[in-house]
Amino acid sequence: MVATEYFIALSAIIFVIGAVGVLTRRSAIMIFLSVELMLNAANLALVAFALQWAEAGMITALSGQTAVLIIMAIAAAEVAIGLAILVAIFRYRHSSEVDNLSEVRL
Amino acid sequence: MVTFIFLAIVMIIGAIGVITFRQPVHAALSLVGTIIILAVIYVTLQAHFLAAVQVIVYAGAIMVLFLFVIMLLNVEGEGHGERFGWLRLAAYGTATVAIVALVVAAFMNPRPLPEAEVVDAALSGGGAAQIGEVLFERFVLAFQLVAVLLLTSIVGAVSLVQRKVEQADIAASHSQETGRD
Repeated sequence: MVATEYFIALSAIIFVIGAVGVLTRRSAIMIFLSVELMLNAANLALVAFALQWAEAGMITALSGQTAVLIIMAIAAAEVAIGLAILVAIFRYRHSSEVDNLSEVRL
Repeated sequence: MVTFIFLAIVMIIGAIGVITFRQPVHAALSLVGTIIILAVIYVTLQAHFLAAVQVIVYAGAIMVLFLFVIMLLNVEGEGHGERFGWLRLAAYGTATVAIVALVVAAFMNPRPLPEAEVVDAALSGGGAAQIGEVLFERFVLAFQLVAVLLLTSIVGAVSLVQRKVEQADIAASHSQETGRD
């Protein structure tokens, strides 16, 4: 079996790639996609931890996998709200580039 | 190990594709590929239920929502012209440092994996029954809060995208209905 470190390293790489996407892309949709990448990287780390904690018994070991299930539900809610905001903004400004929205104030 | 290296390389290529493709549709499809590879990695980590959920919920539902909105809005690729050229350079530099630091940190404190029998006994393949047991034993509060969150987000999404109906129109339609009655 592959040691946990490799999965943590892969998770870190994917997370950083997602963070670079958030920083460098200007379209709000691309920023959302990069955020999804970061969420998935965190999920991978949690699932790898579940394997490492097998000695602590079933409930503790499977906590990592159960947390991933909850994170997926939260990601679905986040995407629904985020895309709704995007559609609402696009309707008024006909653009999804976040640079054009710098004057938005509540 | 060979399987892991192959999956990791494909996954990193997919992730880089997500942030470099100019067309949002291409980036979204690249993310679908990355997510499916991640589901395969879940299978190698004995999380079979999560692998299924990953394909059904992420690749099936969330990404279809993404593609639907991208095509609905007809979003073009980003325009050219750098406003924050230094930010891009700073992001790439910081990312390189962060990746090296995190990978080194991950390998600093290696720990042996538990025995295979122990893992099999504890995870039982990560089936739905075991996950459900943990979910309703230790994560009941989180489960309830996620239910409330999902309801709130549905209501919020509907109220965000609906068009405002003019008050006069409502009054007019009301009077029409009452007049008919």
